[in-house]
Amino acid sequence: MLLNRIRLALFATVFFASCQTVQVPVKADYAGYRITDSLPKDASLVAMMAPYRDSVDKSMNIVIGMLDKPLEKRQPQGALGDFMADALYYNAKKKFGVEPDLAVVNYGGIRLTQVPAGLITRGKVFELMPFDNLVVLQQIKGDVLKQFLDHTAAAGGWPLAGVSMKIENKKATDILIKGKPLDLDKTYNLINSDYVANGGDNAAMLKAIPQQNIGYLMRDAIFDYIIALKAQGKNISVTEQKRVYAQ
Amino acid sequence: MLNRRGFITQSALATGSLLLSSTIIKAADLYDVPRRLTILHTNDVHSRIDPFPMDGSRNQGLAGVASRAQLIRQIRAQEENVLVLDAGDIFQGTPYFNIYKGEPEIKAMSAMGYDAATVGNHDFDAGLEALAMQLERHASFPMIICNYDFSGTPMETKYQPYKIFRKGGLKIGVLGVGVELQGLVPENLYGATKYLDPVQQANRTAATLKAQNCDLIICLSHLGYRSSANRMSDLVFAPQTENIDLIIGGHSHTFLEKPEVVKNKNGEDVVINQVGWAGLQLGRLDFIFEKRRRKTLVGSQAIVVSKKTEI
Repeated sequence: MLLNRIRLALFATVFFASCQTVQVPVKADYAGYRITDSLPKDASLVAMMAPYRDSVDKSMNIVIGMLDKPLEKRQPQGALGDFMADALYYNAKKKFGVEPDLAVVNYGGIRLTQVPAGLITRGKVFELMPFDNLVVLQQIKGDVLKQFLDHTAAAGGWPLAGVSMKIENKKATDILIKGKPLDLDKTYNLINSDYVANGGDNAAMLKAIPQQNIGYLMRDAIFDYIIALKAQGKNISVTEQKRVYAQ
Repeated sequence: MLNRRGFITQSALATGSLLLSSTIIKAADLYDVPRRLTILHTNDVHSRIDPFPMDGSRNQGLAGVASRAQLIRQIRAQEENVLVLDAGDIFQGTPYFNIYKGEPEIKAMSAMGYDAATVGNHDFDAGLEALAMQLERHASFPMIICNYDFSGTPMETKYQPYKIFRKGGLKIGVLGVGVELQGLVPENLYGATKYLDPVQQANRTAATLKAQNCDLIICLSHLGYRSSANRMSDLVFAPQTENIDLIIGGHSHTFLEKPEVVKNKNGEDVVINQVGWAGLQLGRLDFIFEKRRRKTLVGSQAIVVSKKTEI
């Protein structure tokens, strides 16, 4: 009987100890390990990835051009975004048969923060524009274009070709389209990505505007632009222009 | 309950033999060893299987799954209780994804022993069917998200709102929240997926985890750290939550110099951390636990965050 009571007491003590107290996190020590190629490697991962790597390298390490100066992703304006907008603008006439007024790339659509000067591989262009986004033509009225440019201004500035504008209180001002002040009643040929044209990156004002889509990848526009520059005996470079600037 | 407690206390006193008290002390000693949990985490790895190439770019020679795998292996050998977590955007960003649609990424994470991940907006990029297929074929870890409803999509059976892990006598609840899809992800990619309010869903899920006596509740978040114009982000989300102790963030590619600590709606600490993108860094948090009496808990939780001295 006594033994039973002892057993019960012991069980109960342990039971209540675990029931009435809880474990709470009181301290957190943090660290961030920089992962570098010179750290030891897990051999099984290296082996597992090898077949994928071989075939990726085979098609992606092909050199397609030479870049003169490094291109940076920057807001309100940066050379990397300018280059992408130029590529869209350049190919528009041939592809859509119209004279483009402006081309736009959403800032979030620039997928590298920097491209260093030197040889450019096919893979580098895939990393810059990994999405299978398509180039589309939208005919947009000046007043809606103003709303859209305001949207890009509020987002800190998106890459543009054919335009210069100032960002003032998160709005687009002093807008020049091919050197002429924006006319709210005029219709403009906007070269865009289907992603943004479909309302992506919160560009809802563009959603209702019809798109001409010929299945032309943005990435292919970049390849074609590099090929065209080469044909003119030029390396990859960006026309330095004041396009989007802060007040 | 009180009567029974009284009875037991009395019994214990009455039979307070030397043998018994020493047994109790021993049990208590064992119980008092501070419990530890090591959390390793990544976010926005974006198909970065290989290190950045040696081409003069800022990140040349950095990142890569083989080095990360070895480091995780090494930490697992040193620490008893380890969880490896990812906060989404596993996919998109290198030709690996253009060619293989996510297969090497998911295989590598499984091989590294990831315990859980959440769904980022770019994980939709090859379509829901491709995501579901890669998970089905190659994932040994669950996709955890409580504010996407994938009913009627190929992802329907490939995700769960939360998971409870048991590590060294601790119960750890992990839930996940994802970013608003409309206006971000093309509609043809997310299909019939329904986005639900992350605060409401996270609080509901965390309450479930608390009711199951989880000692630590972790939210994997792909909301982004900070956002303009009052949009949802970790800094907007965390103060509206309850029961969540830690947010492992992603989406905004933010390199936090140190984890941020904010107060939740009950004045308790929530730790937020995020480690940039591309697997340039592996984040680590070592949580130390203390035994507390349950009734003193409400509104009193504070977590001291400090830099780990030895790596």
